[in-house]
Amino acid sequence: MQYSEALISGQNLPMSEALSTGGITTLVGLAIVFGVLVILMIVLCLFKVFFYKEPAKKAAPAAAPAEPAAPAPAAEAEADIEDEEELIAVLTAAVAASLNTSTYNLQIKSYRRVPNKRPAWNNAGLRETIGNRI
Amino acid sequence: MYALIDGGAMPAIKTIIMLAVACVLLYLAIVKKFEPLLLLPIAFGMLLTNLPMLKDSSAIMMHTEYFTDPQYMIMENGHSQIDVGMIAREGGLLDLLYLGVKLGIYPPLIFVGIGCMTDFGPLIANPKSILLGAAAQFGVFFTFVGALVLSAMFPSISFGVKEAASIGIIGGADGPTAIYVTKSLAPALLPAIAVAAYSYMALIPIIQPPFMKLMTTKKARSVVMDQLRPVSKTEKILFPIVVTIVVGLIIPDAVSLVGCLMLGNLMKESGVVDRLVKTAQNELMNIITIFLGVTVGATATAESFLSAQTLGIIVLGLVAFCFSTIGGLLLGDLMYVLSKGKVNPLIGSAGVSAVPMAARVSQIVGQKENPSNFLLMHAMGPNVAGVIGSAVAAGVFLSMFNGL
Repeated sequence: MQYSEALISGQNLPMSEALSTGGITTLVGLAIVFGVLVILMIVLCLFKVFFYKEPAKKAAPAAAPAEPAAPAPAAEAEADIEDEEELIAVLTAAVAASLNTSTYNLQIKSYRRVPNKRPAWNNAGLRETIGNRI
Repeated sequence: MYALIDGGAMPAIKTIIMLAVACVLLYLAIVKKFEPLLLLPIAFGMLLTNLPMLKDSSAIMMHTEYFTDPQYMIMENGHSQIDVGMIAREGGLLDLLYLGVKLGIYPPLIFVGIGCMTDFGPLIANPKSILLGAAAQFGVFFTFVGALVLSAMFPSISFGVKEAASIGIIGGADGPTAIYVTKSLAPALLPAIAVAAYSYMALIPIIQPPFMKLMTTKKARSVVMDQLRPVSKTEKILFPIVVTIVVGLIIPDAVSLVGCLMLGNLMKESGVVDRLVKTAQNELMNIITIFLGVTVGATATAESFLSAQTLGIIVLGLVAFCFSTIGGLLLGDLMYVLSKGKVNPLIGSAGVSAVPMAARVSQIVGQKENPSNFLLMHAMGPNVAGVIGSAVAAGVFLSMFNGL
């Protein structure tokens, strides 16, 4: 595409030329950007077809790292033994941190989920603290 | 009177204004914490280059004229090129460091570090979100038109297509990309564009939320999205390779940015070169950031910075950010309708690349509607797609206008 002297220097640029060149560049540019990213989207959809298998059982812990760091995380009853070990490790670490002691001094014998009885104010405070840190 | 303005009082006043601008930027960086990692070196570079006692002395650290004035350049094939030999012989410290900007070395190297810190997992898990990264480039092109229109309206402002492209790319909300485009297309505008880009990036939490509330319904804002699927290591390793090939085939001018981004990402995801990853995302990136910031700031001399054009750039930069946000939100709204309410349109505004600030804003605005909603990971998809999108938009501009 050829650009006039006025378009390159920007001096004495007629409005019609500014709008027409701007419009064409916008259309071509957005088309290319969308084109490239649509191709990438198709590739990523193919990724899913080739590499992703629906998990047979309902145990997909890897996603959503943005869970709130509540002191007593929820335990799923049907979780694997491995998951349970991980959970106990987390609980031990949480208790150790709040008692300011070492994990070696603690032994988790059992755990159960406590219903959330916090007042609304505390919930709001918790959310705000999380919000401030992300 | 004319002589006084020309030779006497005016330069002194301009110098004082520039020193004041530098101090204000230092204040914003240090006290207000506006992107301090870049704004602090930029502001200090500005201070260094405008010190009045250095003018015409041999201690001067930066000769901006070597890079912009044709008198100091050599002609090659009808284009004036910088004279690297002369800069090496006579240049000050900042001249030498500025070569890294001028020759396009620093921005791609920063992208290697950014690639090491970026997780494309959320994008791979939800491929549709990559389109939001494209829609958020709307502001880039809208501002390109805006700059040309402004230039047609006011005789004191003359933005040609190259300048308009450099200003538009501010809307990509990506500092290194903006610097990379500007140093090739409109080197004289580099300081104003860099300052505008980084300042507005710091202001994203203030700029975006009003548009987000305006352009979405309360019901749409409180949509809780499905959990993202887990992404395997194979996919994460293949992604950077495939992106580099696809982008390289279609828009070769974008490869120096996208390729470096993907190199960093591949180093991280492959897991076999931990040492390189550590260096790239820490030491290398920090060193480059210092060089880049201080030299970009040092190009802001009174003559180049204090003009109607700078004012135009600051206004247009804001326009670019607003319309990029609007572009992302529009497509977000469309996706909300097409998916019958499964996509929260708030993630659209995260399509401007400023990682991870824009995604955080989506999260915070979403949580105001529905306190148990966690949009952060969903917003990271469009956010990292925005980095690719703005690099592609940069490639489009470079292929169209470089060499004119």
